[in-house]
Amino acid sequence: MTQYIIRRLLQAIPVVFLISVICFFLMLLAPGGPQAQFNQNRFVTQEQVTVWLQHWCLVRNPGPLDILREYGGWLGVWNCQGGSLLSAHGMPNFLPAFLGGGDNGMLHGDWGISIYLNQPVLTVILGRLPVTLLLMTTAWIIWLTLALILGVIAAVRRYSLFDQSVTLFSYTFYSLPTFWLGLMLIEVFAVSLHWFPSQLIESPRISPGPFASAIWWQAFWTNPGLYGWDVAMHLVLPVTTLVAVSVAGDSRFVRSAMLESLNQDYVRTARAKGLGEGRVIFRHAFRNALLPLITNGALEVAFLFSGAIVTETIFSLQGMGYLFYQGLLAHDYFLLMGIVLIGSILVVFFNLVADVAYAVADPRIRYN
Amino acid sequence: MTLPIQSSVAAETGNPSIEPGPQEGVDVEVSLESLSQWQLALRRFLRHRMALVGLAVFSAIILIAIIGPIVAPYNPLDIPGARLEGGDPPSLQHLFGTDDAGRDVFTNVINGAHISLAVGLFSTLIAGIIGVIVGAIAGAAGGFTDNLLMRIVDVTFAVPLLFLILVAAVFFGQGSMIALILVFGLLQWGLIARLVRAQFLSLRETDFVEAARAVGVSNLRITFRHILPNALGPVIVVLTLLMASNIVLEAFVSFLNFGIAPTEATWGNALSNSQGAMEDGNWWWAFFPGMAIALTVISINFIGDGLHDALDPRARL
Amino acid sequence: MSTVVDLNGESPAAEGRTVGPPPAADVLLEVRGLKTYFHVMDGTVAAVDGVDFQLKRGETLGLVGESGCGKSVTSLTIMRLVDIPPGEIVAGEVWFDGREILSLPMAEMRKIRGADMSMIFQEPMTSLNPVFTVGNQIAEAVKAHRPVSNREAWNRGVEMLAAVGIPAPERRAKQYPHELSGGMRQRVMIAMALSCDPKLVIADEPTTALDVTIQAQILELIKAMQERTGAALLLITHDLAVVAETVQRMAVMYAGKIVETGTAEDVLLDPKHPYTQGLITSIPSNVPRGQRLNVIRGTVPNPFRMPAGCRFEPRCPLVFEPCRDFDPPLRTTDLDRRAACWLHYPPSERPTVSDVAVPSAPVRTERVGKR
Repeated sequence: MTQYIIRRLLQAIPVVFLISVICFFLMLLAPGGPQAQFNQNRFVTQEQVTVWLQHWCLVRNPGPLDILREYGGWLGVWNCQGGSLLSAHGMPNFLPAFLGGGDNGMLHGDWGISIYLNQPVLTVILGRLPVTLLLMTTAWIIWLTLALILGVIAAVRRYSLFDQSVTLFSYTFYSLPTFWLGLMLIEVFAVSLHWFPSQLIESPRISPGPFASAIWWQAFWTNPGLYGWDVAMHLVLPVTTLVAVSVAGDSRFVRSAMLESLNQDYVRTARAKGLGEGRVIFRHAFRNALLPLITNGALEVAFLFSGAIVTETIFSLQGMGYLFYQGLLAHDYFLLMGIVLIGSILVVFFNLVADVAYAVADPRIRYN
Repeated sequence: MTLPIQSSVAAETGNPSIEPGPQEGVDVEVSLESLSQWQLALRRFLRHRMALVGLAVFSAIILIAIIGPIVAPYNPLDIPGARLEGGDPPSLQHLFGTDDAGRDVFTNVINGAHISLAVGLFSTLIAGIIGVIVGAIAGAAGGFTDNLLMRIVDVTFAVPLLFLILVAAVFFGQGSMIALILVFGLLQWGLIARLVRAQFLSLRETDFVEAARAVGVSNLRITFRHILPNALGPVIVVLTLLMASNIVLEAFVSFLNFGIAPTEATWGNALSNSQGAMEDGNWWWAFFPGMAIALTVISINFIGDGLHDALDPRARL
Repeated sequence: MSTVVDLNGESPAAEGRTVGPPPAADVLLEVRGLKTYFHVMDGTVAAVDGVDFQLKRGETLGLVGESGCGKSVTSLTIMRLVDIPPGEIVAGEVWFDGREILSLPMAEMRKIRGADMSMIFQEPMTSLNPVFTVGNQIAEAVKAHRPVSNREAWNRGVEMLAAVGIPAPERRAKQYPHELSGGMRQRVMIAMALSCDPKLVIADEPTTALDVTIQAQILELIKAMQERTGAALLLITHDLAVVAETVQRMAVMYAGKIVETGTAEDVLLDPKHPYTQGLITSIPSNVPRGQRLNVIRGTVPNPFRMPAGCRFEPRCPLVFEPCRDFDPPLRTTDLDRRAACWLHYPPSERPTVSDVAVPSAPVRTERVGKR
């Protein structure tokens, strides 16, 4: 098993590498370029721009070779200051600093600068993570629970009124664009009824600072009820949007996995043994239906971190999804690269987690 | 007691079994087996009530997309100005209301149909063609070629696809419909390729392919005459669902203002314009374009469901 | 047909049923006029269409027929394991151990299943749950019917594995189904079926999925276990050789009906029904070397378009007047022999009064060939 995991991790490296190449070239081959963006940001001084351009070996109107160099700089293979593959210490630049390598690029933990926010990319991303994680995990737990309950009952009572209602519900919500649902929820519950706030994760009037900032935590510990409730109320509409759309898809998935399992011979054997229906369904059928659900669930976890672009945008939640949207608007190269890279690593990683979890749950599978 | 049973086929069986063996071609009644696979699928599809409803609705939507711009009550380029600041609510003159510039939402929805459908259809076609070719090559060739192609497919699966689509749409799409179609199509064929390959691998082991090989049919002919047509059933189902999801995707990308130029009437752009309007309570801006998308996607999904039941080889009776 | 999967323990057939008198005390299982239909997308299939038979305590009965003739559905109906819907038990009675079990509430039926009446399935590969150890699965059956601790149930499982001839049963009990061979798995199924000392064991094609070399061993085992425990055995198979070796009495099924019953010896040596005759003469070993093998011409009727009269009529070489329009009921021909064929009715009891023409086979063949 350990061997298998190691092999898979090694296989993942070229995949992530390739994705970063594709994404980088996609952005830098397009007209415009980072320098134009730097120049548009009035908070950045000309000196800073010069330093950055040099640090990342960015040039105006780059040719293909320049982009290759820029990519090398971003990755940390190329020494931009020295203009070679060797570091200032004369060693290959990609080596860690303590072995005499360079200090620029991803390989040395330097994710670059967000042009639009004028901050290191990693700082920006970590700052947005709490909102996304809170939003997504809350939604995920709710939708997974609902999907399991609805899917299992629909499968067990196949073709019943309940099953058909769940089918109709899931078809409808699965087909609705997320953003449209969000807009409608805002219209009804925020604008017309004034039940829930429609923007941000905290009320500016109540909250002393942004959610999960040091000031916010300080205030939260003095009065958890007030600030907790404030955040909870802000979560209702975005979470509902995410849950409605995701439950629709996942409950179908649970239903079909469960139906597949209920049709197996071993379920008939379990009934032939004289077991009660509850035991047949949950111990025999559900236990086997869980296997495909594990894969699905693990992949969903990967997307919990990357956030929900539309939901966060509509509700102005300062999370990863909204950050990505802002990055796209501003053509914020390094920020976008950072987010795509994190997203890819998470997908690859949770793919592996899914396979390992599958192997643990299914005695038939043993990786060597 | 001897029986006048006609012997017709000399069958060599290992044990005295009475499973129906090879029979002479006597069909006692017109049976289901005498229909071809596609006729059977058609029969099953026609019996799927929701799929027929979906087909009817979708046909109507296509019809509207084609003749809609001619019969639309208003010129989409007319900007007569609205009576109210946030646009006029639905009325007899404007069934779906107007936006703040007085443009008729109904006209907008009708005019948006053909672009939204075209993006959905053509991007899916591109993904389908590339996917079938790559999947067929990988499945038929096997070995190194298969390995290489599947690693490439793995890459497209490891990306948070939405991120890459957005990046591509922003940096390359730049408002062009054709670019958007290309972006969707070129980034989504992985799923199809994987499916076709899996179909190939399992069909290669089936008896009829073994039989074809045994009588000396060439590999190329086996691939295109025997395997490919049989592999297409599930592919068609997935392509149908992909088309539905691409229509939503277009709306999504346009909604974020990264899609087709905002001057064009598409459902996504109509929704995008409505973002501010929602907070002022002018729900009709967004409601009707959204309903148009939902109706289209639901009807396509129902068609896909019917196709799935009709083409699923396991559902064959 | 409003009941979906039975969760409430309500019997789908329980309401307003009137049943006949119970059979004699020495009869363990009696099936009367059983009809099980399936409502599927393309119409209704009468999988079992009026089946009657009896099984005495400790007796062995073989139910023989081609695939699709309804023999498996008959056994599943007796176990009440038919999915409702799409299945429906349209009519009939099943008397087991003095009780009419089609009327029993599901909760009562569960107490019988696996305890007094158990089943061995065809596919040992898929009939065992892949995610539980085999010992666990046998122990589960024991625990369902006996007030024992987990430990005792497990020990009973190991004991049963030893009884069905599995070496190192303690170790095997801890293994998963995929770690066992096909024959081993079928032994596990047998151990599971016998773990609660049932009065009736239904074996549905127990050797079909196994290697030829293993088949004989498993049949021997089933026979030996049956003799040792004194349970009655209902053996369902398409294999006449299996029947000849294993059971005392047999019933031949064709297209949802029983066409002939009797002792295995009588039926095999002196078949009364043309279908049975066809079956036996199509056995390769019955035909001298070099001679062409007999087959029953034509195919099993389309389940949606059953012939109006005798179901074997389109394929029967001995067909004559009443066959096309009238379906013959089972008729006692000899002591303990019954057959469903107009040939065995005296002319006065045949439905159409007319000259009994001797059927001319060639003409018949031509007609069939033209369709």
